[in-house]
Formats: sequence, structure tokens, C-alpha cells
Amino acid sequence: MKKLLSISLILLVMFGLVACSGEDEKATEESKPKEVFKIGAIPDQNAADLNRSMDQIADYLAEKTDLEVEYVPSVDYAALVTAFERGEIHLAWFGGLTSVQAMSLVDGSEAIAQRPRDEEFHSVFIAQKGLNLKGIEDIKGLSFTFGSESSTSGHLMPRYYLMENGIDPEKDFDGEPNYSGSHDKTYKLVEAGTFQTGALNEAVWEGAVEEGLVDLNKVDVFYTTPSYYDYNWTINTVDDVFGKGTKDKVKEALLSMGADQQEMLDIFETDKFIETKNENYAAIEKVAKQLGIIK
Amino acid sequence: MGKSIFQLHKKSFLTLVLAGVFVWSLFAVNWNGDLLHSGGFVTLGQMLGALFTPDLSSEILLIALESTWITVSYAVAGMMLAIIIAFFLGILASGIFFQNRFLKAIFRGILGFLRAIHELVWAWLFVASFGLSPYAAVFALALPFGGILGRIFADMLADVPKEPIQALKSTGASRWQLFFYGYFPIVRTGILSYTMYRFECGIRSSAIMSFVGLGGLGYQIQLSLDDLHYHEVWTFIFFLIAVVVLIDGWSSHLRNKMNHTTKHWFIPFSSLLTLVLLVGAWSYIYIVDRASFLELFSDKNLTYAKKFFSGMFGVGEENPAFFNWESWKTALSLTYDTLRMSVIAIGFATIVMFLTVLPAARNVANGKLTLTSRWYQWISFGIIRLSYIFSRAIPELVWAMAIIFILKPGILPGALALALHNFGILGKLCAEVVEDLDNRPIRHLASAGASKAQILIYGVLPSVLPQFLTYILYRWEVIMRTTIIVGFVGAGGLGQQFKLSMSFFHYTDITLLLLCYLILVWISDYISEWARKTARY
Repeated sequence: MKKLLSISLILLVMFGLVACSGEDEKATEESKPKEVFKIGAIPDQNAADLNRSMDQIADYLAEKTDLEVEYVPSVDYAALVTAFERGEIHLAWFGGLTSVQAMSLVDGSEAIAQRPRDEEFHSVFIAQKGLNLKGIEDIKGLSFTFGSESSTSGHLMPRYYLMENGIDPEKDFDGEPNYSGSHDKTYKLVEAGTFQTGALNEAVWEGAVEEGLVDLNKVDVFYTTPSYYDYNWTINTVDDVFGKGTKDKVKEALLSMGADQQEMLDIFETDKFIETKNENYAAIEKVAKQLGIIK
Repeated sequence: MGKSIFQLHKKSFLTLVLAGVFVWSLFAVNWNGDLLHSGGFVTLGQMLGALFTPDLSSEILLIALESTWITVSYAVAGMMLAIIIAFFLGILASGIFFQNRFLKAIFRGILGFLRAIHELVWAWLFVASFGLSPYAAVFALALPFGGILGRIFADMLADVPKEPIQALKSTGASRWQLFFYGYFPIVRTGILSYTMYRFECGIRSSAIMSFVGLGGLGYQIQLSLDDLHYHEVWTFIFFLIAVVVLIDGWSSHLRNKMNHTTKHWFIPFSSLLTLVLLVGAWSYIYIVDRASFLELFSDKNLTYAKKFFSGMFGVGEENPAFFNWESWKTALSLTYDTLRMSVIAIGFATIVMFLTVLPAARNVANGKLTLTSRWYQWISFGIIRLSYIFSRAIPELVWAMAIIFILKPGILPGALALALHNFGILGKLCAEVVEDLDNRPIRHLASAGASKAQILIYGVLPSVLPQFLTYILYRWEVIMRTTIIVGFVGAGGLGQQFKLSMSFFHYTDITLLLLCYLILVWISDYISEWARKTARY
């Protein structure tokens, strides 16, 4: 019986090898399937909601552009940037920093659309209500959480304004700052009492307040940063893959979203998208370089 | 004279030194400061509250089933490749085919390198160079597991008694005949049981592959934790525990049956099950995941892989981190922190293990060892064994993700996560040592009226300590490799910096951190091997 066991083991190994090589042949024989236009978004808030809305947007883009469009979820910011660099994502909803990273990695990629609010974006600093914080200086000595380390409104700009106000995030908090991973999680952690203070994206915060997702008796805003450019749709060099004019078609489709698409726009806390350009993000790039995040 | 005293008390010295190192490492944590978040207890309460009310809606259960299958299939496929790697490299490294010492050392070195790097780090490197593909997970599992299995195979082959081989050789058997009819039958059972044990570890590793963006149970756990849906988190964790327990049961049953001389239906049944799993796993990866193997080696991927690796070697970069003294200083201080994290982790795990190991041994619970039997002994046996299973079925990374909600960032949450996972493993291994004890001396002590504590100190400890030390040191090596992983989720040390550098695409920093990590792993392997030898003789 032991012999049977070892023979079957050897067979299994052989099967695996054969299966591998068999697959190779198949892959070469198959005619190349129609290229799918893949879209992605940084996972900066509730993943379930984001997946649902992005699937709808994929359907909408497919209808408008006659392309086969698919949404590819990703677990962290850097993974999406890498996929974009590799041309596996053709259109991505990036934050300011990730779009700057993407634009520097892919020549010819372009920021094409953003929300009206992204021209004047803010981060909010929140704290537990009982602490009675008045200004950003009061944050010293308390525990603090950023969002994702790759987030503009959850890390880059809050860090920048902390340092502008003479606070060293690595030294002046109670313990090292945490990186929660997403804006949702930041306010939930502060609300739950896990951290005393945190910084997040203003749009997500306002959405949470509007929908009653956050208990204002427990946590509130005590400081809002000056404005900066943030989120945008960055498009890859798609004209090379899908034919000339694809970029314009996609851009047109995004810019023409309106009341009929309100359901899918809700996740972005907006009612339309407007035009933008790469130059708008020069300031973010400068800050990122200053903080040593981009070299 | 001095030397002979040292020789006599070598083991006690070693124990003292190890205990001293643990105490020293505790100073790395600022115990005066508040270790808990202001709301740590609240969060802990919410998490524990959800434990008894996991989300059992059909939607979640369906997701859990599907991700469990993804996890299992990646593990099965990864293990198959690992066995192939281990088979060939193991033979080459064992020196049974050629006696060339130099070649043998080279192959041992390759195996050592493969297993030095944790599977999640491999996964990260593969994803960064080859893109998100199930193969990234499969290969990432295959390499370190191949390294570990290969080393064990090589050791087993090298330890085969020479007489039967000599006999075969004299009949004029060729090298391959020698292998298949001489060596292989002798080591087969050992290899198989070790492989089965590794398979269980493979499942846990496969589950955490999702943290680099590859699907599976870990991915779901992470998503639910991100949304703070603790009820769902527990559902997925229970599925993970169930799979680990099932495979553990399968492997121990199989090992048991293989040791009998009589044939048992369970053995062919296991072969069939393996076959079904393999076919299922590979077809899932090919058909459902639509992962083409050939595409991995496309021009595009080669270009990016080249870009990635030249980035890591700092090609074209003005000031690569590994030529920068400032970067070295930061990295070395993190390395030091990481080392202390690992010592705290194994220290805590050991303490809890010592506190629980006696009631967790079957021969203590049924009173055979101590000659006293109380009804509550079975209850404590059950509870402790259950906590062991719970502790080891949950990967360190998942423990860490939960703990950073409760404790402030730093090395303590990382150390605790590692301790929580390892105390279950240590406990199980050490309880088995106690179960295999020669019980006559201890019974003697018991019948002479010794108390429980006296039995432990004078009866049990002296006979089990060398074996315990071996296990503790062995787990410390494993913990050392894993320290980098718990850092990924913010639990301090080298791993945290590694994750940040990955996010910011600072490739030369990654190289530097990997270098420090490798040095750390090698040093710990060396120390542990030295200490184990000291404990043995």
C-alpha cells in the first residue's frame, strides 16, 4: 500500500508538470482575447461600497465608449500605482500623491477629470469631544492616527501642515503615529476611542456626518487645513492600446456624468466631474519631495 | 577547573543566559508609559463581544467558503512546487550522489537562502516584479517551503544507515537505482509526515498572502477589519481555524496509520484526497482565475522585473540607501528593535507555555503521571488545548492587525502578536514531550508526597528541559523571520519601514532593509544552532 502511495505521489508530480506545460501551449494557441479596459480606485474608504459604485461606473463607461470595461479592486494604494505602471489598470481614481507617483512612473499618463471640490481640497483634524481642542497646537501629547501612508489628504498634507505648525509627528504625539489605512477607519478609530485624534479627507468626513455614520457627540473637527489639489482620474497611455481617441472618449464620458448617474457619483460625494491637468499637481509633488516621500 | 565547572553546569548557564537576554529585551518597552490606547479596552470589548456572535448570514458564509477554497488551492499548488524543489535540491544537498563538499555547501546555501526570506516578503517581491497573479502566491509559498522541506529531506537522506546502501551498491545498482530502491524507501515515511505538517503551515501562509493583494481568507479578514465589522472577522477566522484543524487531524491520523505495519484504508483514501485537491487547485488557478503561466514570462513582465530589480540595486540612483550612512543608522536601530521584539515574543510565549503545559498533557489530565486525578483536570485540559488550537490557527499577521487596535504602535504589539501565535505551537509541542515522559521517576516523587510545584521542578523539568529548549530556540528562529511580517500592519520594527518604503517606491531602502533582515535571520540561526548543541551535550 505504501508503494501505491508513493506511485501516486510521483504521478501527481508528473501530472503537475504536464499540466504546466500543457497550459503553456494552450495559451499560445489561443488568439488574443479582446483587451479589457480596466479601471481601479484607491481603497481609501469602505471597500464594499466602493466595489459596488465602481462596478456601476464600469458599466456606465462600457455603455458610453463601446469598450469592455472591468473594475479591479485593490487592497492598498501602492498596489494600484504598481498595476497602473504595468499598464494593467487603464484608468484610476487616484489621490494627489498616488497620481503624482503614477504620472512620474508612466510617461504620457494624464490627469483628466476631478471633482469641483478637488480644486480646493482640505483635510480635517478630528478629536474626541471631551478633549476640547481649540487649534492644531493642542494636539501635542495626544495619540494620533493618519490614514494610509500613501494618502494625500490622510497623510501627506496633514503631515505637512503639522510640521508647518512646529509639530514633529514622530516625536510630539503620545507614541508614534498610527497609519489606519483608510479615511473611514480613521474616524471610526477616533470615535471608538482607540485614538484620541486623527486626520482625514474632508469629503469623506462630510459624507459621514451627512449620513449620520459618525457620532458628533463623541468626535468633532478642531482644525481644517488650507486648500490644495487632490483626487483625480488619471488615464494611462490608452490610445496605444485601444486606438486613437480612446482617451478623449473616456474623458468625455466622465465629464458628462450628471444627475442620471447620481447613484454612482454618491461615493465620490459629488454631482459631476470637471476637467483637470497634470500641472495642477506640481505643488503636491513639491511637498512630497520636501518630506522625502518622493525622491 | 573553571572549565569543568562550566561543562558540568552548561545547561544551567545557558538557561540563565537566555533568561537574562529576555529580561534585557523587556527594557526596550517603556512600561511606565500608557501602553494601551486611551480606548484600547473599549475596542477589545467590541472585538470580544463579536466573538460569540459571528456573522452567519448566507452572504458572508458564501464568501467565506469561496475564500477558504482560494486559500486551500494556493496552498496545495504551492506545496506541490515546494515538494519538487525540495526533492531535487534536497538530493543534491544531501551529498548522496556526489561527495564533493563544495557543491554540497552550495546547494545547502541555496536552500538556506530560500527559507531565510519569509513567504510574504517573497510574495511582495513577486507581485512587484511580475504583477498580481495567483502564481505570485504559489511561487512565494513554494520557495521558502521548498527551502525548509529540502533541508529536512537532505538531512534525512544523509542520515540513512550505510549498510543497506552498501549492499545494493555491491550488486551493481546505478545511482538512480540506489536512490529509488535504497534511500527513498527508508526516508519515505519521515518525509511524508513532515510534508503533511508543513502543509498545515502552508494553509496559514496562503491565508496571509492576500495582504499583498491576492485573494483568500486573509483578504476578507482585512476588508472586514478595515470596515470594523468584527462579527464578519470572526466568521472568517472560524473558517480558517476549521481548515487548519481538519488538516491537522488528517495529517496526524495519516502519520499514525503509516506507522502501523498493517494496511489501512485511510492511506489510499489520503492519496485519492491529495489527487483531488491537486487537480482541483490547479484547475481553479488555470480556469477560474484564468492565470496563464506563459504570460508570467512575457516581454512586458521581463521589462518590469528588470526595472524593479535595477531599482533595488540602485541603478541610476544618485544616492542609494545602502551607500548612505544615515540610512544604515536608521536601519540598524530598527534591526536592533526587531531583535528585541523577537526575544520578548519568545519570552512571553515560553512563560505562558510553562504555566499551561502540565495541565495540557494528557497523562497529567488523566492522573497517570501524578497519580492524582480530579474531575476538573479534564476541563482545564480541554480549555488549554482549545486555546492552543485557537492561538496557532490564527496567523501572526492577523493577531497583529487586531492588537494594534488595542495597543499603541511600537514593538510591543508586534511582540505580543508573535507570542500569541507561538505559545499555542510551543504548548502543543511541549505538551507532547511531557506525554512521552518516562513516568516512573515522577510517580515516585508523587507517591513520596511531593506537591505539584515540587513535581514540576524536581521531576518534570530536568527531564524535559533539553527538549523544551530545542523547541523554544527553534520557534525563536521562526519568530525572527516573522518579525518583518507583523511590522507590515504597523506593529513596529523593520517590517513597518519595509512597508513604507514599498508604498513610496524607495527601492534601494528596501534592499537595505532586506539586507539587515537577512543578517538578523542568519545570526539568529547561528546562535540558535550553537545553543541547541550546548543544550544537547
